[in-house]
Amino acid sequence: MPSTRPNSPDGALPWSAYVALIVTILFFSGAFSGVHGILGCLDFTALSGSFGKIAGEFTFVGRGGTGARYGFLFALSLVPGIMLALAVVEVAERLQALRAAQRLLTPLMRPLLGLPGAAGLALISSLQSSDAGAAMTRTLYDEGLISEKEKLLFAAFQFSSASSITVYLSMGVALFPFLSVSHLIPLGVILFYKVVGTNLMRLYLHLLQRKNNV
Amino acid sequence: MSSQGNLYAAFVEGSIKGWKVATQNMLPNVVLAFVFIQMLQLSGLLDSIGEYCAPLMNLFGLPGEAITVLISTWFSAGGGVGAAAGLYTHGIMSSRDITIIMPGIFLMGAQIQYAGRILGVAGVPSKHYPILYAIGLFNAAMGMLTMKWFFV
Repeated sequence: MPSTRPNSPDGALPWSAYVALIVTILFFSGAFSGVHGILGCLDFTALSGSFGKIAGEFTFVGRGGTGARYGFLFALSLVPGIMLALAVVEVAERLQALRAAQRLLTPLMRPLLGLPGAAGLALISSLQSSDAGAAMTRTLYDEGLISEKEKLLFAAFQFSSASSITVYLSMGVALFPFLSVSHLIPLGVILFYKVVGTNLMRLYLHLLQRKNNV
Repeated sequence: MSSQGNLYAAFVEGSIKGWKVATQNMLPNVVLAFVFIQMLQLSGLLDSIGEYCAPLMNLFGLPGEAITVLISTWFSAGGGVGAAAGLYTHGIMSSRDITIIMPGIFLMGAQIQYAGRILGVAGVPSKHYPILYAIGLFNAAMGMLTMKWFFV
């Protein structure tokens, strides 16, 4: 679990944190899918494996089912993938991959989102847990580290696709087999529009402020 | 800070988290979504909804029935995912359709729940709620168009 403390000591990160970040992204991107040898095992789909076939043809989910019973078996078939995805994210977090992401993002936060670098940890945490993100936002505001306007911008960022990474890797896994593109492309689009949405909020607040000043 | 033993523990901890999310959040929502789709299908409503919403959903390159995915996801992303999977198994949505709707499911996902859990907790004044809802819906629409234009 990410801590709910928004401030963290700014010690130097080991290079392994950056390696862990890159490897984790590649792992979920499918970049090593179908590669033989040692890199081939760094692939989410390959490690998820497959269920055995019944009568040489169907998995236990079968074919042609409907309703609650089929929904249950379908959902059950997703459980291992979700466990693997969140396990890998947890390992990446332990290797400080998320701190590395935060370090890389900090200089971009002011121009991209209108947020101070102090909100970096809360921002990364909000991608993992909406509740941690929201609680940390409140703390940042109460401690005077972000202004009222920055709080609203941050809320706009969090409210569209909350805990993006966790939700995408737990719920979204269900649709991975049906996607016609790399699993990470929709996630990239999601993160892009979170940034766009935050800037729409920025524009809205700017117009609101001007109206109130006139 | 991180030894091998720690990483082993982290993997197990993470998979326990995954088990909890899967069984307590994802599975019930997926079952509900499949029942929802089944109800619509048995009552014949799915066809009428499909026809009625076709003009709107066609803008995104999706069949009219896909509106049920967007309605479900508004309550919970798991429901949206379940509805999409249900429509896929019924042969109503194709792999291309799933790819288009994927970002939409999450960008407008569970707004109902998150209003309390995010906006409430962060202390956002309720007068700003409408614009925040609108931004989520706009993001979803643009996300789906982006997939349609550039990725399928």
